[in-house]
Amino acid sequence: MAKDITILIAGAAGQGIQTIGALLARVCHNAGLFIFSTDDFESRIRGGHSFHQLRISTQALGAPSRHIDILVAINERDYEVHKDRLKKNGIALINSDKENTTDSNVFHLPFDAAAKEAGGVIASNTVAAGAILAIIGAGFREFEAVLKDNFKGKSEDIYKLNLTSAQKGHAMGKAVEFPKNFDFDGKNHHHVVMSGAKAAALGALAADCRFFSFYPMSPGTGIITNVVKYADEIPIVVEQAEDELAAINMVMGASFAGVRSLTSTSGGGFCLMTEGIGLAAMTETPVVIINAQRPGPATGLATRTAQPDLLFTIYSSQDEFPRFVFAPGTVLETFNSVKKAFYLSEKYQVPAIVLMDQFLADSSRTESEPFLTGFEHESFLDLETLVSQNQVSQNPESQNQLSQDQVYLRYKHTDTGISPRRVPCQSEGLVRATGSEHNEEGLSTEDLENRKAMVDKRFKKLSLMKDEMKMPSIFCEDSAFYLTGWGSTKGSIMEACLHLREEGINAGWIIFEDIWPLDSHKLTQVLENKKLIMVEANVTCQLGSLIRQMTGIDYMSSILKYDGRPIYPEYIIEKVKQIMGK
Amino acid sequence: MATTKFDIENENQWCPGCGNFSILQAMKKAFIAQDLEPKDLLIVSGIGQAGKTPHFLACNMLHGLHGRALPLATGAKIANHRLNILVNSGDGDCYGEGGNHFLAAIRRNIDITLLVHNNRVYGLTKGQASPTTALGRQTEMQNKGTVSSPFNPIATALVAGAGFVAKGFSGNIEQLSGLIVEAMNHKGFSMIDIDQPCVSFNKINTHLWYKERVFDLKDSSHDASDYEKALKVAHMGEDKIPTGVIYKADTLAFHERFDVLNKKPLFDYEFDKNRMDEILRRA
Repeated sequence: MAKDITILIAGAAGQGIQTIGALLARVCHNAGLFIFSTDDFESRIRGGHSFHQLRISTQALGAPSRHIDILVAINERDYEVHKDRLKKNGIALINSDKENTTDSNVFHLPFDAAAKEAGGVIASNTVAAGAILAIIGAGFREFEAVLKDNFKGKSEDIYKLNLTSAQKGHAMGKAVEFPKNFDFDGKNHHHVVMSGAKAAALGALAADCRFFSFYPMSPGTGIITNVVKYADEIPIVVEQAEDELAAINMVMGASFAGVRSLTSTSGGGFCLMTEGIGLAAMTETPVVIINAQRPGPATGLATRTAQPDLLFTIYSSQDEFPRFVFAPGTVLETFNSVKKAFYLSEKYQVPAIVLMDQFLADSSRTESEPFLTGFEHESFLDLETLVSQNQVSQNPESQNQLSQDQVYLRYKHTDTGISPRRVPCQSEGLVRATGSEHNEEGLSTEDLENRKAMVDKRFKKLSLMKDEMKMPSIFCEDSAFYLTGWGSTKGSIMEACLHLREEGINAGWIIFEDIWPLDSHKLTQVLENKKLIMVEANVTCQLGSLIRQMTGIDYMSSILKYDGRPIYPEYIIEKVKQIMGK
Repeated sequence: MATTKFDIENENQWCPGCGNFSILQAMKKAFIAQDLEPKDLLIVSGIGQAGKTPHFLACNMLHGLHGRALPLATGAKIANHRLNILVNSGDGDCYGEGGNHFLAAIRRNIDITLLVHNNRVYGLTKGQASPTTALGRQTEMQNKGTVSSPFNPIATALVAGAGFVAKGFSGNIEQLSGLIVEAMNHKGFSMIDIDQPCVSFNKINTHLWYKERVFDLKDSSHDASDYEKALKVAHMGEDKIPTGVIYKADTLAFHERFDVLNKKPLFDYEFDKNRMDEILRRA
């Protein structure tokens, strides 16, 4: 039987609640436990009301839990906000000097006072972490190892302050009785704890992306933050653009010149980028964009999560053109989707967009499968021609041959619609690209036959692109109904589904990771005669609408959530039961 | 002008008599003077009559969207700083739609040459006021006269910190081609704001109007290394229009500020799979 504990640490912005969570997560991770951590914060730097939620389990986790075992309130009022989510046998720890009453599940623990005694109230978070760790069964030695590592490079005084605070906290926690705890005897493991933002960054680097341009916008910025850390190790350039228009156009320009490039943003920035996506499509220049979604319209909820941009993304920018859209559901899928986006964007010379959201980007979880460099960094540039032509140009005898080949056709008609792609100034052939309609040479023309031929050329790629797309993953082929979703809700859907099955309800799931282009024929075969309950974080059931449009198959029911907060498994379970009239 | 290797068999779409023809001629002259080949050049442009320039030249070309030529060129230069990049833009493209990018490109000091075809009017969209149209000037759209003061690109570039600022005139090809050579050889961002007539939509600032006003700074006591003097030149007004190099200073180009680029262009690096695997192992 899996052991599973959810801890919620609440406080004001600037009080360091994430620091407590990070210390706990490290100790648990070292012991081979699985974690899933999320942050809920407001769009402010100080004050207000934030919380960090850490779920710890002996089994792999795909989602946070709504119900709390241990509620840690840094300020008394934080307890009031969250007490309704406490499980029946849950406990609350409040940072206060008040006397504890007997027979209560609320414990007043003087984190601040203990830290003051140890030498500084600043270490109050370490006291809290020590207390919580003692309560869930961690020995002090395990905590000490993490502290040593955490304060490496800091002064001896700071380390000592935290060590003493940790001891005081641990002793405090030992006095609190709590029925659930873990085995902290360290196990050998190769697990990693990773956020979606970091996985996306690593995916780009593993696909040989060398240029990153961005304009800061939550929650898209985190991806670039994670890239910057590697700038001293691998040859990359990261540039903060003056706006999102510049960001996408810089990426376009760099890619045109032969360097793989990425920009990352959220819905509002993505709106500005749509003109650049059109330019990439028209010039057949590969670009990769990450849209980490948040609720809108306009500014909406800047630090919250949602899935409102699916249809906007697949139709973004004026007129029609092929593009790839991916929506990974886990951190490992994020890593792999971003790699795939780069590979396919370059292979087909089309834009590729990876849809994430604040929940996926900012939450961290244990991943036991390895992250590997694959084949996705391999280039599709017509480089052999570049080299051989440079050699030819040294030889005056082959001048004739050369002058014939000087007319390089950047948009040459081919069976696949894909023209051999060269980059400027690397061969005798001139590379000419324009956002206007153009002929094979890349010169603008308004000729109507040419216009039709060029639209057809760009769309010729579509059937091949469809073949690159995975069909949705299906669990339990003979289920009474299928919880159907896409992207970051994957973990919650899976957990809810398994829970329902344990209760004897014949539920399955269908989860989309590769979104667009969609092969409607194949998808119809896959979905035929299946009853779908859509689970989406938007109000109009966008994937459900898309399925209906592409296959004629209508969904049976939908569970939609648009309050800006993640979809918890418990929420899905509750709603499924409502739908079933139970 | 005799035929050159930069000529191309592509129908020119400009109006007969347009100042753009002279600018195109000055560009070709400048390239030949530097012994450049078409394959050595990447010309990036935005939208407007100026944006069409690379279509009428043998060169590598990236003809992008309205206002966005500078970010495109910036990206291409970061990817491969060995590329010789020029940008053809107009007063609407560069100072209107692309105003923010103009300031940012100067601040970055990206090593490209910007040629702004400044005819003080929107040509491609048929005669609306541009950012450089004089205050009160009537157009079909601004039929009671423009209500915004004109943008001063030279003064703005100087204040933003540009290291090479020059003014050209389409009526003086000899001088203009010399300025283009000098701008291309300048390390860092260089710009030439080029006065030109629009024969179709600007009946005030005609070739003759300019001809009566322009003078070469070489024939004055101007010192292009003197920032204060440059600022004064930038504010001389319209009665006499100074042309030539207004300001020039040694600067550190954008790519020189990156260790990774000082070694070699980003494009030249090989993907290091072992290093990447090592990074993933400890992630």
